[in-house]
Amino acid sequence: MKVKVEVKNVYKSFELHAQQSEKIFDLFSIKKKNRKEFLAVKDVSFKVYEGETIGIVGLNGSGKSTLSNLLSQVIQPTQGEIELKGVPSLIAISAGLNNNLTGLENIKLKCMMHGLSKRKIEEVTPSIIEFADIGDYIEQPVKNYSSGMKSRLGFAISVHTDPDILIIDEALSVGDSTFARKCLDKMEEFKQRGKTIFFVSHSAGQMRTFCDKVIWMHYGELKEFGSAEEVTTKYEEFTAWFNKLSIGQKKEHKKKMLAGQMRFNHYLEQVKSEKKHRSPVELIKSVLVLLPLVISTVLVLLGI
Amino acid sequence: MLNSVTKVLLEQRKYWNLMFRMAIFDIKGMYQTHYLGSLWQVINPIIQIAIYWFVFGLGIRGGNPVDGVPFFVWLLVGLIPWLFISPSIVQGSNSVHQQVSLVSKMQFPVSILPTIKIISNSFQFIVMLSLLLIVCIIYNINFTIYIVQLPYYIFCLYIFLFSFNLLSSTIATLIRDYQMFLQSMMRMLLYLSPVLWDTSSLPEAFQNLLKLNPFYYIIVGFRSSILGGHWIYESPIETLYFWTLTFALLYFGSKIHLKFRKNFMDYL
Repeated sequence: MKVKVEVKNVYKSFELHAQQSEKIFDLFSIKKKNRKEFLAVKDVSFKVYEGETIGIVGLNGSGKSTLSNLLSQVIQPTQGEIELKGVPSLIAISAGLNNNLTGLENIKLKCMMHGLSKRKIEEVTPSIIEFADIGDYIEQPVKNYSSGMKSRLGFAISVHTDPDILIIDEALSVGDSTFARKCLDKMEEFKQRGKTIFFVSHSAGQMRTFCDKVIWMHYGELKEFGSAEEVTTKYEEFTAWFNKLSIGQKKEHKKKMLAGQMRFNHYLEQVKSEKKHRSPVELIKSVLVLLPLVISTVLVLLGI
Repeated sequence: MLNSVTKVLLEQRKYWNLMFRMAIFDIKGMYQTHYLGSLWQVINPIIQIAIYWFVFGLGIRGGNPVDGVPFFVWLLVGLIPWLFISPSIVQGSNSVHQQVSLVSKMQFPVSILPTIKIISNSFQFIVMLSLLLIVCIIYNINFTIYIVQLPYYIFCLYIFLFSFNLLSSTIATLIRDYQMFLQSMMRMLLYLSPVLWDTSSLPEAFQNLLKLNPFYYIIVGFRSSILGGHWIYESPIETLYFWTLTFALLYFGSKIHLKFRKNFMDYL
């Protein structure tokens, strides 16, 4: 079987700024000292083969969404590498529709942005309308839609753009059960066609029936990666144990784990800054571009 | 040396069709909820032209012509490019920040976002240019051989807007204060360009200072093409300055755009 997705020692850190002004210092890479950073994803590695469906579980704030954003290349890893064989597409609740345009125009616009040809768009439009199933509202501006209708349309468009790698980030938690059923059927169809699907959900039932393997994210780390049955059971045991704790103990546990995600002094930054060294060639180029500008500025000012 | 510039320019060429189709949707989205629809694209500038003509032409100049050209025509030739420049720059600079969260979920060339804004504003520009032609006929302005320079200055205008927006949209995404600064700058630049008033009465040193404003070159160019009077080669230093500035913007714009574009989401 072919490797479809390979994640190698991926870290993603978010810098915590005490003041807005620190942000701008970082931009010009000066005064980088004692800055706090938060490791949302910490040394995660795994391999996914063609046609596999991977579930991602974890508590709130465990890095599931960061991981799905990394997989869909919305954000880049701070360190490490992600190799994708194919085009990823993220399906999230925030569907990203233009509120002023009608549903139909949004279908056209989104498909266009996904790089579909005019012919192909005309081909898929009826089946998107069919799938979204929002009736005459398709001719109305999206701002008049209910939140359920918006996510239905968003989901319908995303699955029809024919991505190789689907990343579904809790998109199914909105919409009623009939729509969720429809989506699961659609994903089953993708599975049959050998597409790779990442599936973020809180529902253990969906995980068991739908996924081949499950990733358990725990405070930024990959705690378990294995068959769906095994990991889901372990995760359920953990949540049962966690829920039994008193409020104080829960807080204590959370505090301890979050402290493990904090870092000072940029230990990831060291790798980055080596790359950042400005080569003298670049400097010479910049001077070559700026020098004529300076000369002509002086000439204009002198009025020659 | 030109790797990044070529890369960005090739992207523009590759997605030429997409940019046009998206620009049309852009206009549709903007005016869909208005009863007068895209008619506002013309009503808006006409109201502005009327007020500037009233204040500067009738009020301050007392209806006197500029170098024998009726003030109204003289004003239009400068103001119409300006009414295209100003929204193109303000919207174009904001475009990446506004839309990057939408497009980052797909494989989308971010570098075309500022260009889409230039194109969507161009429709209005073209309509206004044809209105200008009608006004020129009404006022009996005879086009001279100088009109052949007009395509050159339009080309200058577009290449400058593109280069500036490329750099500007990146900065505006990284540093939000920049957008505010830019908006005030554009309001100020209207008065520092020879759009509303004739700058030739200023002392020479001030005039030279004003020439550092790249729109000065373009607007004076539009006037000398349509109303006649100057050839491009008569102002070689200004031409040199304009092109070195445009190239520097394009060069640094492409470089920092490519450097930051993968991480735009982190800066939102």
